[in-house]
Amino acid sequence: MHYGTLVDLRKCVGCNACTVACQIENELPLNMKYTRVLTTPTEGVYPNVTRYNMPVPCQHCNEAPCIEGCPTGASYRTEDGIVLVNPDKCVGCKFCMVVCPYEARVFNRETGVVQKCKLCTERLHYVTAKGKSKPKPPRCVEVCHMKCRYYGDLDDPNSEISQMIKAFNAKPLKEEAGTKPSMYYIFPDENNKIGKL
Amino acid sequence: MAKKETRKAACHFCHMNCGILATVENGVITKMVGDPEHPFNLGGQCPRGASALDHLNHPDRINYPLKRVGERGSGKFVRVTWDEALTDIALRLTEIKEKYGAEGLCTLGGTNRTDDFARRRFFNIWGSPNVSHTANICWIPNFLNETSGYGWGAFDPEAATSKLVIVWGHNSGSSYIPELRTYLEAKEKNGTTFIVVDPIYTDTAAKADLWLPIRPGSDNALALAMLNVIIKENLYDKKFVEEFTYGFDQVKERVQQYTPEWAAKECGIEAELIIKAARMYANAKPASYVWGVALDQQGRGSSKGAQARCILRAICGNIDVPGGDVIPGPHPTFTTDWELELNDMLPEEQRAKQIGSDRFKLQTWPGYKYMSDNLVEVWGKSIPAEWFCESTPAMLMRAMAEEKPYPVKACIILADNPLVAYPNSKLVFKALMNQEFIVAMEYWMTPSALLADYVLPCASWQERPLMTTTYGVSDWLIASQRACKPLFERITDYEFWRELSIKLGYGEYWPWETDEDMFFARMEKFGLQNYGIEDYDTFVSYVRMNFADRAYEKHKIHKEQGIKPFATTTGKIELYNKTFEHLGYDPLPAYVERPFKPSEEYPYYLIAGGGFMPYFHSEHREITRLRLLKPYPHCMINSRVAAEKGIKNEDWVWIETPIGRIKQRAFCTEAISPECIQVERGWWFPEKGVDTLFGVFESNANVLVDDDPETLDECCGSYCCRGQACKIYKVQEGDRNEDVEELLAMLNGGAK
Repeated sequence: MHYGTLVDLRKCVGCNACTVACQIENELPLNMKYTRVLTTPTEGVYPNVTRYNMPVPCQHCNEAPCIEGCPTGASYRTEDGIVLVNPDKCVGCKFCMVVCPYEARVFNRETGVVQKCKLCTERLHYVTAKGKSKPKPPRCVEVCHMKCRYYGDLDDPNSEISQMIKAFNAKPLKEEAGTKPSMYYIFPDENNKIGKL
Repeated sequence: MAKKETRKAACHFCHMNCGILATVENGVITKMVGDPEHPFNLGGQCPRGASALDHLNHPDRINYPLKRVGERGSGKFVRVTWDEALTDIALRLTEIKEKYGAEGLCTLGGTNRTDDFARRRFFNIWGSPNVSHTANICWIPNFLNETSGYGWGAFDPEAATSKLVIVWGHNSGSSYIPELRTYLEAKEKNGTTFIVVDPIYTDTAAKADLWLPIRPGSDNALALAMLNVIIKENLYDKKFVEEFTYGFDQVKERVQQYTPEWAAKECGIEAELIIKAARMYANAKPASYVWGVALDQQGRGSSKGAQARCILRAICGNIDVPGGDVIPGPHPTFTTDWELELNDMLPEEQRAKQIGSDRFKLQTWPGYKYMSDNLVEVWGKSIPAEWFCESTPAMLMRAMAEEKPYPVKACIILADNPLVAYPNSKLVFKALMNQEFIVAMEYWMTPSALLADYVLPCASWQERPLMTTTYGVSDWLIASQRACKPLFERITDYEFWRELSIKLGYGEYWPWETDEDMFFARMEKFGLQNYGIEDYDTFVSYVRMNFADRAYEKHKIHKEQGIKPFATTTGKIELYNKTFEHLGYDPLPAYVERPFKPSEEYPYYLIAGGGFMPYFHSEHREITRLRLLKPYPHCMINSRVAAEKGIKNEDWVWIETPIGRIKQRAFCTEAISPECIQVERGWWFPEKGVDTLFGVFESNANVLVDDDPETLDECCGSYCCRGQACKIYKVQEGDRNEDVEELLAMLNGGAK
């Protein structure tokens, strides 16, 4: 089992619902976000232009510089592929924030530790009071009006997310950074129009 | 043990009314998430909906009735009890009636967060026809054109099964996100083609198969040219036209002059592209087009544009067919808003006093009465007078400010901030300052509420039940619960009208004590008791929705039954519009000169509208979580134009029209034409003090919007938010707005 996520940028409208819902779910101070939603600069000359939106949370990298460089071992990867920070070990040195190519980590001034997207680990592993396993999707997936976010098992070639990555040639962000993210994006381009399948 | 339950609420931060599941522990809401079983949002939320608890518990909410003690606009209020407030309001209103007549009281409404039938019921009992919203720039002109032509609005596009959808003047990607989701789903599953008409490369346009980058204010020209192509090339549905429409030959003759080449010059779109769009639309069956607010905001010519589009749809055979534009008609068994308004109680002589009705006749009593008679004949019910029969805002403001044709001296404002919502903000200010008595029912101390004599605390959607019925003109309903009891002393608008009525001696007309009782009574004909459903809450828990059996092509059924196929004068779809003829307007589609033209001094087309996240209209600037996403107002300017003027991203710039100027920060982009400037609407600054009236004149788009009666839509009085002429230049240090300073000085001694 290796959790991965996917955003269909052909659909994202950049509304920031994921940013806000995540902030509330994780009880973050108002000045902290785990997900930023970026808009690309408009390319071309009116009216022949393109532009799209891109949510950028932690990419849960397989070759994560934040884990490799953490002096206290606070940053680590779970067995199911999620990168987490152990707040008890974090000393707030911010090294990980500097080396993250995605600027996905934020420093909590109130607690003095670095925090980031946890892929809603608690929700993924949610167990009811009666002891029944009842996984819930990450909040950003659940809240999305456009249904442009997916999550699932990258190890399973038949999972929805693996199939989507294959069908739409989804790619990670900044592949050249070599961090091997577990997060993929379907980029809008001429060969990849909605309804083409 | 703690009591924990899930309540089915509906968000009212826009009209979508997304279903929300509220977790309530011991009466306190602890969580609000999208309801995955709700047909609109399927569990989704926008940032506003996701942050609904911030709104509910915000420290700046109005929680108790407040009475003004200082001068008007001084911001000095004291807390009073509901009983004191209502007793005094009843007394003051009675004095107004004695002095100026019933019509001396008016009401200004917000965008349907409220049960407006109750407002109209009150005003009909009271005897004043002066009820208004900014309805004439939001859907109503289109709906009334459809109603006059088709005998009801064909406003239910079945995009999911359409072969082609035109989204015209509407950026659902920013304002109505679940709707855009359904288009993309249709595209994905059925290969639906998706055309967007918009001057700006919006998040919706970005997802289109074909984007028509139209010049603001030329939509009528585009529709006329499409008609020209479709008729000339014989692409229309001849059988339908012959059997079910009236006046085709006259239209055919009329539109000959509107060639694609002519329209190309008006619209700034190549003629070939217009021809292509026309052919695509006519050849895709079924096709639908989605109403967009921009079409209602053209000022003079708004209705003519709507009329041309109505004809487009009708002659292509897309009316009331699966995958086309469906005419729902009224709900047959639910007691609709219209049935509860008591319009018959308003005497003829009072109807005649409705401000604007002598000139803008489609959306006032003359047109409403004429259409209503046709509607009742076929459907048994009409459309509500709320929204569809209202005082013309531009004229009402003049009556309030200048007391012509007669004085309107008191105003009840309901969940609305007219200083930001209505055009010509400085005139609105004068209108409010000239009132003898103002009551504002509000969530917040807005700039407009600050001018009131009483500010009353309003329950928001988390604290009230909600019945979604599309203003009472659709054949379905979705009912929602209140998630919690109103906090503090907040009440619903229904309760306000009821309580005020009781004080004034009209109690007999308000038998239902609570909103729930009232809603449940309206479902009486459903026979819910037969299923053991005894109250509203139970209905929502177990049933929640009611979609009446819907037949397509009802005109064929009506014909078989021997009644008029369409609820119009001729019983046909009136391409030659008899309602217009009756009211003295040109019955045929026609091009109308745009009300404003760029000049040397004001060289750009101003787009003073368009939804944008995370705000809705003038709301949500108080919610810190949302405000941090967008702290400042921005205007969109083409990058090349900005470079010529030395304007850089985030520079503060003045945007100026002949009636005023505002400042916003520049967003330089190629997503907008070099001919246009778009300003964000709805801006005021809750964090700024009462001295500047929360900065209401600083960045508010409506300061720029002229509502000179000569520039208004001839039928509905709609003012122009798309295509006034403007200029733009950098803000210099020390720049002042002297006319605004003069206005604000009225707050310090100039007021009564």
